[in-house]
Amino acid sequence: MNKEQFLNELRSRLNGLPRAELEERLFFYGEMIDDRVEDGLTEEEAVAGIGTVDEIVDQILEEVPLSALVKEKVRQRRGLKIWEIILIVLGFPVWLPLLISAFAIALSLYVVLWSIMISIWAVDLSLAACAVGGVLSAVWYLVKGNPAAAGFAFGAAVICAGLAVLLFYGCVELTKALIRLTKKMVLGVKAMFIGKET
Amino acid sequence: MDIQLKRGLLDVSVLAAIKDEDSYGYKIIKDMKPYMEMSESTLYTILKRLEASKMLTVRTAEHEGRLRKYYHITELGLRRIEEFRDDWMEIMAVYRFITKEDSPNE
Repeated sequence: MNKEQFLNELRSRLNGLPRAELEERLFFYGEMIDDRVEDGLTEEEAVAGIGTVDEIVDQILEEVPLSALVKEKVRQRRGLKIWEIILIVLGFPVWLPLLISAFAIALSLYVVLWSIMISIWAVDLSLAACAVGGVLSAVWYLVKGNPAAAGFAFGAAVICAGLAVLLFYGCVELTKALIRLTKKMVLGVKAMFIGKET
Repeated sequence: MDIQLKRGLLDVSVLAAIKDEDSYGYKIIKDMKPYMEMSESTLYTILKRLEASKMLTVRTAEHEGRLRKYYHITELGLRRIEEFRDDWMEIMAVYRFITKEDSPNE
């Protein structure tokens, strides 16, 4: 890929960035490529040394706040044709409920995920409580002079404790996965805004 | 390395790279290379952050028939490097305390 192809590709992929920031970033990468070429690299090598367009776009996505992207999107939308505005206004009773339901569905799915997470944690906690309770009742039975029941209660306590420990590690991993998913979702939403206008 | 720590180090390293004379993007990366690898995108973000906090100023000058941006350290930027030195002394004191705990002889 030569410099021009690289910058063009970057420009189209970063279409959603505020105009001034986009130009500044492109200038920066252009200067970097020129300086590498001056240092003795070929244009292709210089471009390759900067990194792939995907990497750059991903990094920028993580840095730029969502609010800036939304603002830019709204600003770009000003050039609407009359018939588009009429269509949007007339279609209002249709698209607004659809938009709200789509948003509500996405939100409830997300809430459900966290609810499942919380209930698994609750199960883990109750297993731990059972283990403690089992040990206590074992002591109590022993004092009462019933070793058989004490042995049974103690065994149950050990099983509960084992399950609680196992489940705890599972819970930690699941929670981490859910947090990663959240991050990905935020990136996905940002990508929707920054993407090429169609 | 811890992300917060690395971010702080990168900021001061970039300031150090322009401390003695004004420099430009590619040179900053090249000068820092033996000590710390940094991507172009990372440098861009750091430069913007330092400019926003008035630790450096930017000027565009002609070079070989094209434009290049040069970065100049401000009084505030120089002070930041000084602060870093003081902070580092404190960190070194804590480091000695931590490693002392480790060795059984003391």
